[in-house]
Amino acid sequence: MKTIFVIDASDNVATVVVEPVQRGDAVRTNGRISDRQLTALDDIAYGHKIALQPIERGATVRKYGLSIGRATCEIQAGEHVHTHNVESERGRGDLGNNTAKGEAR
Amino acid sequence: MNEFFGYHRPDGQVGVRNHLLILSGTVYANSVVERVAAGVAGAIPITHALGRCQVAPDLRLTRRFLSGTAANPNVGAVIIIDHFEEAGCTAEDIAADVAPTGKLIATVNIRGGGGYIAAVEQGTRIAADFARQLSLQKRAAAPLAKLLFGTECGTSDTTAGLASNPANGLAAERIIAAGGRAMMAECTEWMGCEHWLTERAANSAVAEAIVAGVQHMEARALASGEDIRGSQPTGDNMAGGLTTIEEKSMGAVKKLGPSPIVEFLEIAEAPTLDEPGNYVMYGPGMGAESISSMAAAGCQILTFCTGGGHTANHPIMPTIKVTGNRQSYELMNDTVDVDVSGVFFDEITLDEAGDTVFAEVLRVANGYLTKSEALRDFNSFAIHRIGPSI
Repeated sequence: MKTIFVIDASDNVATVVVEPVQRGDAVRTNGRISDRQLTALDDIAYGHKIALQPIERGATVRKYGLSIGRATCEIQAGEHVHTHNVESERGRGDLGNNTAKGEAR
Repeated sequence: MNEFFGYHRPDGQVGVRNHLLILSGTVYANSVVERVAAGVAGAIPITHALGRCQVAPDLRLTRRFLSGTAANPNVGAVIIIDHFEEAGCTAEDIAADVAPTGKLIATVNIRGGGGYIAAVEQGTRIAADFARQLSLQKRAAAPLAKLLFGTECGTSDTTAGLASNPANGLAAERIIAAGGRAMMAECTEWMGCEHWLTERAANSAVAEAIVAGVQHMEARALASGEDIRGSQPTGDNMAGGLTTIEEKSMGAVKKLGPSPIVEFLEIAEAPTLDEPGNYVMYGPGMGAESISSMAAAGCQILTFCTGGGHTANHPIMPTIKVTGNRQSYELMNDTVDVDVSGVFFDEITLDEAGDTVFAEVLRVANGYLTKSEALRDFNSFAIHRIGPSI
């Protein structure tokens, strides 16, 4: 069974860091922090993330125990989690409150 | 493990190298600098594209980078070569900035010295003399309190935040526990996890400066017409599996541990405090500019955490590359120094990875050459700029 890596017990995603995962693979989290098994719903490349549980649209995606963005659609456990279904909530001009002017520094 | 062996300077600082630096004052002196450095044992050239026709804030920044680099305790002697005279950033200005360190300093002016060929000759004569004087100096024990340890990350992938960066944070904590100081820049990469940093700020002024620094960098990016989501994470970050700036940032700030952040520094500004702890610096995520700003602030040694592998190496500040990506370690084995990917294969714990990084920092501080130093691949000197050329 392929191993996926979790860095914080409260995370809802894990990372593929040992070998690439193919759709249908049974995967298991590295046992030190969390011990779970699930089935991959997508091919997931090395370095990419997999959902450990269902994540509702608009819900927080958690890694390192902290928010790394929000889901832009409903995400199933075992799905690939990346730019196609997660968006940033930081450093963007379309959410307002970015009115400071750049000045020489 | 609470000391290292370095070169004790007249001003009390301690270098981990005893470099003879041949420093270009302006772009037009670069070729003379390269010729002088090529002809003298151990001489290291630093060249760059700036120092002429810059708006005043940029020229001040250029001078701060050049003077700070020359003042770095890893530099035992410096020769500054200028082609003529740029008011506000002449070789003499830089020499005056560096003079309080008490190290060997000389200036060469191409026009004043009789032209290009004469400048190469004059520079070579001085450099040969300096090289021999430096060769008499010996390493002696110094406490880790004398170490200003910089840390950076570049070509990040998901392994960086999961292995190399947290391992580095553990190593930084060991240096601080022994009385040393640790520094991180790249405030672009604090975006989205400012609260992680402000919670550890030693006082409210530091906390406010951290938030203002990130907002300033964000505003600068937006003012250029760039929604920063488009450039950070970079394309290679996203190909590597990093999805958002928050995810990249959290991985990035793990390069430092949980100790208090005692001072916020402007780019390339030396700390004013001596106390152990974390120091954070305003500046871009661009690796060469960032590590150059930390070298100019006086960092004697730097770890460069990299997921995809890297060649980054500062000319006068040993740059230890650390990766948590085993494939990158294999592909870039001639420039990446430390592999901590064992945490993913249950071969080592994260604590053991931290011990490995700490041990390598001490080894390199004591004189062990990094892989890039052995290759003389001095690629990562770059000066941050704000405005246009004029």
